[in-house]
Amino acid sequence: MKAKSLISVLVLVAGSIGLSACGEVPQVTTYEQGKYQGKADAQPWDNPTFKGDKAAWEKAVKNRARNQHEYNRIQ
Amino acid sequence: MLTKKAAVAAGAGRRLRNAAARIVGQTMDRRAFLKRSGLGVGAGAIATQLPYNLIGSAEAANTAEKRTGSGNEEVRRTICTHCSVGCAADAVVKNGVWVRQEAVFDSPINLGAHCAKGAALREHGHGEHRLKYPMKLVDGKYQKISWEQALNEVGDRLLKIREESGPDATYWIGSSKHNNEQAYLLRKFVSFWGTNNCDHQARICHSTTVAGVANTWGYGAMTNSYNDMQNAKAALYIGSNAAEAHPVSMLHLLHAKENGCKVVVVDPRFTRTAAKGDYYVRIRSGTDIPFIWGMLYHIFQNGWEDKAYIQARVYGLDKVKEEVMKWTPDKVTEVTGIPEEQVFKTAEILAKNRPSTVVWCMGQTQHTVGNANVRAMCILQLVLGNVGVSGGGTNIFRGHDNVQGATDVGPNPDSLPGYYGLAAGSWKHWASVWGVDYEWIKGRYVSQAMMEKSGITVSRWIDGVLENNELIDQDSNLRAVVYWGHAPNSQTRGAEMVEAMMKLDTLVVIDPYPSATAAMAAMVRKDGVYLLPASTQFETYGSCTASNRSIQWREKVIEPLFESKPDHTIMYAFAKKFGFADELVKNIKLEKDAQGWDEPNIEDILREINRGTWTIGYTGQSPERLKLHMKNMHTFDVKTLKAVGGPCDGEYFGLPWPCFGTPEMKHPGTPNLYDTSKHVMDGGGNFRANFGVERNGESLLAEDGSASKGADLQMGYPEFDHVLLKKLGWWDELTEAEKVAAEGKNWKTDPSGGIIRVAMKNHGCHPFGNAKARALVWNFPDPVPLHREPIYSPRPDLVEKYPTHDDKMAFWRLPTLYKSLQTKVKDISREYPLVMTSGRLVEYEGGGEETRSNPWLAELQQEMFCEVNPKDANDQGIRNGDYMWVESPTKARLKVRAQVTPRVGPGTVFLPFHFSGWWQGEDMLKYYPDGAAPIVRGEAINTATTYGYDPVTMMQETKTTLCRVMKA
Amino acid sequence: MGRMKFLCDAERCIECNGCVTACKNENEVPWGVNRRRVVTMNDGVPGERSISVACMHCSDAPCMAVCPTNCFYKTEEGVVLHDKDLCIGCGYCFFACPFGAPQFPNGPAAFGDRGKMDKCTFCAGGPEETGSKAEYEKYGSNRIAEGKLPACAEMCSTKALLAGDSSTVSDIFRDRVLRRGKGLEAWGWMTAYGSGDQQREQKREREGQK
Repeated sequence: MKAKSLISVLVLVAGSIGLSACGEVPQVTTYEQGKYQGKADAQPWDNPTFKGDKAAWEKAVKNRARNQHEYNRIQ
Repeated sequence: MLTKKAAVAAGAGRRLRNAAARIVGQTMDRRAFLKRSGLGVGAGAIATQLPYNLIGSAEAANTAEKRTGSGNEEVRRTICTHCSVGCAADAVVKNGVWVRQEAVFDSPINLGAHCAKGAALREHGHGEHRLKYPMKLVDGKYQKISWEQALNEVGDRLLKIREESGPDATYWIGSSKHNNEQAYLLRKFVSFWGTNNCDHQARICHSTTVAGVANTWGYGAMTNSYNDMQNAKAALYIGSNAAEAHPVSMLHLLHAKENGCKVVVVDPRFTRTAAKGDYYVRIRSGTDIPFIWGMLYHIFQNGWEDKAYIQARVYGLDKVKEEVMKWTPDKVTEVTGIPEEQVFKTAEILAKNRPSTVVWCMGQTQHTVGNANVRAMCILQLVLGNVGVSGGGTNIFRGHDNVQGATDVGPNPDSLPGYYGLAAGSWKHWASVWGVDYEWIKGRYVSQAMMEKSGITVSRWIDGVLENNELIDQDSNLRAVVYWGHAPNSQTRGAEMVEAMMKLDTLVVIDPYPSATAAMAAMVRKDGVYLLPASTQFETYGSCTASNRSIQWREKVIEPLFESKPDHTIMYAFAKKFGFADELVKNIKLEKDAQGWDEPNIEDILREINRGTWTIGYTGQSPERLKLHMKNMHTFDVKTLKAVGGPCDGEYFGLPWPCFGTPEMKHPGTPNLYDTSKHVMDGGGNFRANFGVERNGESLLAEDGSASKGADLQMGYPEFDHVLLKKLGWWDELTEAEKVAAEGKNWKTDPSGGIIRVAMKNHGCHPFGNAKARALVWNFPDPVPLHREPIYSPRPDLVEKYPTHDDKMAFWRLPTLYKSLQTKVKDISREYPLVMTSGRLVEYEGGGEETRSNPWLAELQQEMFCEVNPKDANDQGIRNGDYMWVESPTKARLKVRAQVTPRVGPGTVFLPFHFSGWWQGEDMLKYYPDGAAPIVRGEAINTATTYGYDPVTMMQETKTTLCRVMKA
Repeated sequence: MGRMKFLCDAERCIECNGCVTACKNENEVPWGVNRRRVVTMNDGVPGERSISVACMHCSDAPCMAVCPTNCFYKTEEGVVLHDKDLCIGCGYCFFACPFGAPQFPNGPAAFGDRGKMDKCTFCAGGPEETGSKAEYEKYGSNRIAEGKLPACAEMCSTKALLAGDSSTVSDIFRDRVLRRGKGLEAWGWMTAYGSGDQQREQKREREGQK
């Protein structure tokens, strides 16, 4: 546990001071243990293709998966 | 601890250890081995990647802002160009750039599946390692020249040679990677040039199959289909490594296996196909006939033969049986090295699980007994009653994507398109289809004799250059060679090939990837070599014929890259230079391409093929029908290939030839050849009456009751012509116009298709008659297939018992050695004790320049290697991963990585045949045109292969020769 | 819907490497980086089997657990992804992963900045705008958002490699196993799904939460 908090401190320091001179974008904002720290990602159905309709997306993926089942076309 | 959850960490550690133990604890596999040994290659290759990394290509494409959902994307359907399975792929094109590749789940052939090559097709949209513009060898270096200069200089040089030494002084090596229309146009082109000196990959791939199988029962092609293998209850793979050579065919086989099909693999090597089989038999390379006769011995002994079938549909089996019964189990074991119980078990599996099918590839064909090997396989299937049966047949997997089509209608030295041969009647038939005067064509040749004489084969062009002029059967030796889509490293005797290249006056290479030929030539010459950039099949359009005879239509994906031109456009440009442009395209429209070049219309060429190719039923497959199939793939049943409903209802996918009659007759194509359980208008058939009606007083026609379903003639009958039609009283069923056209003609030469229509549609009869299959092919050197030891045999004792043929003079215009050479090298196995054999890798195709230029594939196989058994390796002090030398009796030496593996048995080494770019230990990089060297280079096995040819087709022997190995 | 999973059927895998090049093609992964690879055991002797391995998108992913910058996240569908802007290329995930999935590109090419970790995304892109150039360059294609499945599985030559919603994948696989009349031989199943005991325990947990 000790080593870990040390790392997070180091990362914080490096991000805010150490690399700023190199024109590097700080990588870590606020560190919260055990929780994803990066950018939020969109849900796969949140796009113009599916317009937020999760059920439609699920149906599309399920249908697509059936292509892998050649028994659907061959008995 | 650096982990957040101690419990998870422990679990992860355990899993890591387990996984590591599972992977590391096993024998090292080929790729692990190559990864470890090939670091240098990889590092170099990364540098070559830089110009077209993701960012570069994405910007060029100007598409990455939004990869999906935007309006100007187009989907073009194409067919993979890397093997004969015929996998469909959808290319997504945006602003003219091939941005994505999608699976075509609708295809009944591949159901969306691809192997490494098929899944990497889109790299053709990059083509970074291609030849980008015409080049010329000047003082040992390739220099860029313009197309105009190239066409003029090449044209002038060839015309000068024609003037001085006659048209036969040139040699034209066409391609199985041309589409049907280009392959066909090239045969016509070469004919108008005035020579039969043309050939393509089929010579060195399945020529023995085509000749052997056609002479047995009519057509020299795969009888059934990849799909139909799902109906098999047992499958014998002999000399085929489908898992690497035809990976997507395994989709059908493994599906069949899952449903109970027993899979037997017979091979000198424990292949990846063997790994998927139920039963593996290791055979000594080149002893297929004793093994097959060994099986038949047990089949006859146990009464497993199909007596009724043999009686009704097979001629001459008694003679074969006499030979078979000489092959008692002890003799079979002595020659093949296979214990009797394994021979028995294989025979039993095939006999007791009918319908059973057989699959063979180059392991059977590329031998000095190739034609006999394949006939023995046909006989096995006839004895078991497996031919003309769904789930049975001889499933002969062809190699290139259009090798079947190029064989059918392309540049063959012994035939005009459609296996018409070279007789005067054949020339007249085609002259009328082409709309040119027969006399004019004849005038292009030296004489009528040369016009009707088969040309030199691609396997022997080097002898056409090097052989003493008095011994060759044409006026001049070869002075110019045109490599038009063919690799040099796929032909044997590479060491002699560079001598031939040196001696040539002119060498022209027309290819997207001409570099192997280019480098070999530059190694020994200073000038006289021209490289012309051709487009790939993704930059043009047209039809291609898969192994199962289905014809598929490719749409053009992208415009030709760099300065390349499609092959048919180049043909027309040369025809203009040579002065027969008008004759070449009499019935064919010309279109202007973006640079103002004349491009012959592909649809028109196919229609011309349709109008002339009656023999094998390439007549019903109009461009319109083929395109309709490509659009409606989902309506075809995967097992039968038959459309259920929809616009193609009742037709078979790709109208597999024979698709008889005119397109209007709507023949559905033939999924399984010789299948009497179906009506001929539903793809049924029977064996072809192509060898007369009787022999020594014995009828060759099929017995009563063995005709196809619903035929008006329920007995054997000869092929149809105007006389037979009149005798049967069916002549008046022709229209008046058809009568005029059909008078004096037979079904193959009647330009109206009327004879075929009346026979098939009105009477359910097969136009080519109904005969027995021939177990005895009396016109071949060994009418009954006989075992003959390879010329370079590891068994001098057996050479005495089973010697090869006598030498031949003027065989395909060349003297050909058999016994004199075999006698001379009889004891050479004392110095060269190991059998050297070759085969495929899944990542590469053919000579490999194209696929080794594709980084996605090249990364997976970075070095040429040799598989050697631990015993032989230890005897020579060779360690796994070492460089080793492989030396053949020609003294050519190959420097390759050693892969020590029990995959090959003691006494045999295996080398893949896709490599080139090293010459006896030296990297040839400096000889390549700048920027056109493939990423991966290595020794070509054929640098070291030896002399040996099939006595019917001039197929080269690649699978059984000798070598010795030593640590490098 | 269940979680997204890969499953490689070792009875069908012929080591053709179609999955490997499909991935390269779809995601333009540079030379030397292999998000997916095929591993062969008992090479050249009877019993030879191959399986295709990539990130298995573990339910309880060790990479997530060990990452010092917490750059990993798991989508609602069970796909394990990471934010390359946060990755420091330390390689802990590589050490922890039982499948060797994390890759560390070298050099200035895409994916390559300072050796940031790259791995299979289940063709689900990453934390950038869906379908954008930025997403493609950093993470590759986002097929999932198009309602498609990973290119490797869709193009598998023998349909050995299956991908998709675990319930659908297991339906397909079960069908085959029943026809073969043989037992469960899918390599990686235990690691990805756990043994029967673990599954029952997880089920109890889930039901307890309700």
